[in-house]
Amino acid sequence: MAKQLTSEALPVDLPGVKRTRKKTKDTDNLTGYLFIMPFLVGFIALTVFPVAMSLYLSFTDYDMLGQASWIGMENYQRMLTDDNKFLQSVKVTFFYVFTAVPFRLIFALAVALLLAKVMVMKGLYRTLLYLPSVIGGSVAISVMWRQLFGNEGALNSILAQLGIPTVSWLGDPAYAIWTLILLYGWQFGSSMLIFLAGLKNIPASYYEAAQVDGANAWHRFIKVTIPLLTPIILFNVIMQLIQGFMAFTPSYIIFEDGRPLNSTLLYVLYMFQRAFTFFDMGYASAMAWMLLLVIGIFTALIFKSSSYWVHYESEGDK
Amino acid sequence: MYKRSTLWTLIMTITLTFALAACSSGGNEPANQGTGGNTTTNTVDSGSGGEGGDVTLRLMWWGSQTRHDLTMEVIKLYQEKNPNVKIETEFTGFDGYWEKLAAMVAGNNMPDVLQMNFGEYMTQYAGKDVLADLQPFVESGTIDVSKINEGLMESGQANGKLLGIPLGMNALTVIYDEQMLKDAGAKVPDLNWTWDDWKAAAEAVHAKTGEYGTQGFETGNVFEYYARQHGQKLFNDDATGLGFDDQLLADYFQMTFEQQEKGTYPTLDVIMQHEAIEDQLIVHGKAPFDFRWSNQVVALTKAAGRPLKLAPLPGPDTAKGMYLKPAMFFSISKKSQQQEEAAKFIDFFINDVEANKIMNGERGVPVNDEVREAMAADLDETNKMIFDYIDLIGENSSPIDSNFPPGSSEVLAALEEVNEQVMYKQLSPAEAAAEFRERAESIIARAK
Repeated sequence: MAKQLTSEALPVDLPGVKRTRKKTKDTDNLTGYLFIMPFLVGFIALTVFPVAMSLYLSFTDYDMLGQASWIGMENYQRMLTDDNKFLQSVKVTFFYVFTAVPFRLIFALAVALLLAKVMVMKGLYRTLLYLPSVIGGSVAISVMWRQLFGNEGALNSILAQLGIPTVSWLGDPAYAIWTLILLYGWQFGSSMLIFLAGLKNIPASYYEAAQVDGANAWHRFIKVTIPLLTPIILFNVIMQLIQGFMAFTPSYIIFEDGRPLNSTLLYVLYMFQRAFTFFDMGYASAMAWMLLLVIGIFTALIFKSSSYWVHYESEGDK
Repeated sequence: MYKRSTLWTLIMTITLTFALAACSSGGNEPANQGTGGNTTTNTVDSGSGGEGGDVTLRLMWWGSQTRHDLTMEVIKLYQEKNPNVKIETEFTGFDGYWEKLAAMVAGNNMPDVLQMNFGEYMTQYAGKDVLADLQPFVESGTIDVSKINEGLMESGQANGKLLGIPLGMNALTVIYDEQMLKDAGAKVPDLNWTWDDWKAAAEAVHAKTGEYGTQGFETGNVFEYYARQHGQKLFNDDATGLGFDDQLLADYFQMTFEQQEKGTYPTLDVIMQHEAIEDQLIVHGKAPFDFRWSNQVVALTKAAGRPLKLAPLPGPDTAKGMYLKPAMFFSISKKSQQQEEAAKFIDFFINDVEANKIMNGERGVPVNDEVREAMAADLDETNKMIFDYIDLIGENSSPIDSNFPPGSSEVLAALEEVNEQVMYKQLSPAEAAAEFRERAESIIARAK
């Protein structure tokens, strides 16, 4: 092994051989490119090209049937100045994201903390708790949600039994969005698993040390668990924020058109309507880029803020 | 425990993947999940082992499973009679159909024969000049339309060309539960009943049973009728704006809103929770009236499991308001290389008695008068009632309005939203009418 290395390293120092080696390097690269070619072709044809195309289309008026005609910034201008439904969808989406994401994360963390204590049948519990995330986007869930929250649904029957006045959960614009937020929270599985992994990585010796110093359970949670979990929290916050902004399926399958009174008109649902109901492809593309921009800004802000609250153990003395 | 750089890389990778997916697929993916991706491509086996298939036609339609099954049988019959023709089929539900068709047009990959819808869709496709003019085939006799109601044939015209051949006839109708009305001592509707009779009957049933007096309306359809019966139109003649006064729409909103407040007209959340045909209020004896298209009566009666009856929409001036609607068209792609063969198939589809017996009125009442007569003897109760109703409306109706401007599907969506605002008491009927005009005009102006 060592001999081989030497014999290969040797020609590097010889000027005459250097050229040959460079040539070899080029063929090596070519082989490399050939190896990743299947990926590259797919990546360029299915990702880079559509992305570039959507950027171009966002400056055009395009209905799929005719030719795209260049209209400059008009789509963006109309979005910001002349489309109440767009503003409504932005309002709904911000409310949804900033309610549903914390809700899911807190819930996921709480369940993860409990699950970390469970010693028997861990796998079973984990699987069961993860299940809602797997079936979340399915039509079956929309049917179930309608059954649960319908006027004659399970929740209202329980309320009626208890003598509490019933509410039209799906029909009242004030409540409809909450059923979606609840649904989002219920699908906490992936965040929970990540939290769980993070919790398992906190050495037990830290807790023992804290306990010896007289810290109670609350102090241990605040002073040990949370700081050591901050990188995980950062990861989860960003992932969930992005997922929240891009939420589409639940609203589409439970409320269809964002009813009642556009109170569940999530951004991506409206984008979908513009694209595939009204064939306003240029405008929809512009909306997609606007969404990318907003997600980018929020992600950047969170990253910027992370130096103040995220604790990296490996840079502990910083 | 975690290196900052590792975490960064991980997050950036996943973020980018998500973000890129957001712009490239633009919500297309979830939609496919939502509709179950139920598109099927198929070739009907004619049993001849594919021998001598000189011509291959591509045919696409939307519809329910029943329609798919029946259409496949008709195609099989056609292939038996024309062994040189092979028909490839593609079908999907209504929801995904227009997305698929638009993508096909953009990709220069349209089927030879395709199902087309009246109104805003026909307007849109006519404007893009992607459908073949069928007039030459009618003149050459390839497509025989001599047995078809002339007014109905006109509905397939746009921009001075014949772009679609109607496949069936439809009309708006009031489906009613006679027993429920009689039990409440309410008047049973007839050709001369009016909106006041409707209100009185709905209120009587509500007072007697505590159930609703009616199912809610699809605003676009019922208001269009309402405008027509008052001598106005949804859109103006040159399709550049609305064709009615604000007062008329305000009156309509006032009427339905009052009924909602009286408890006879269901609130929107109730309507929303009874959308599927088997969940309809009338199916479960929770309302005596239901307003819808006549070709849906078969499914509704089947779900109800008891006889229901049909009446025209309430008067006055019923005949001015009512119209026969082409349930749907077959059109031919302008780029099709086999327009002649495609035309032959359409001719078979509308004029062949056997084919229409197989379809059994699934695409609306057959358009060919002779076919209709030939079928009359074997019809079941429900279909007989629908055929009779269509005959009645044929004599008591005015031509359909086809002056839909570009952007009209968005205008109709806006009408539905404004209606919601009235029903949720966010706008008064008069405010809503003004709001709708403003929105409609801006949509039409933009779509031009």
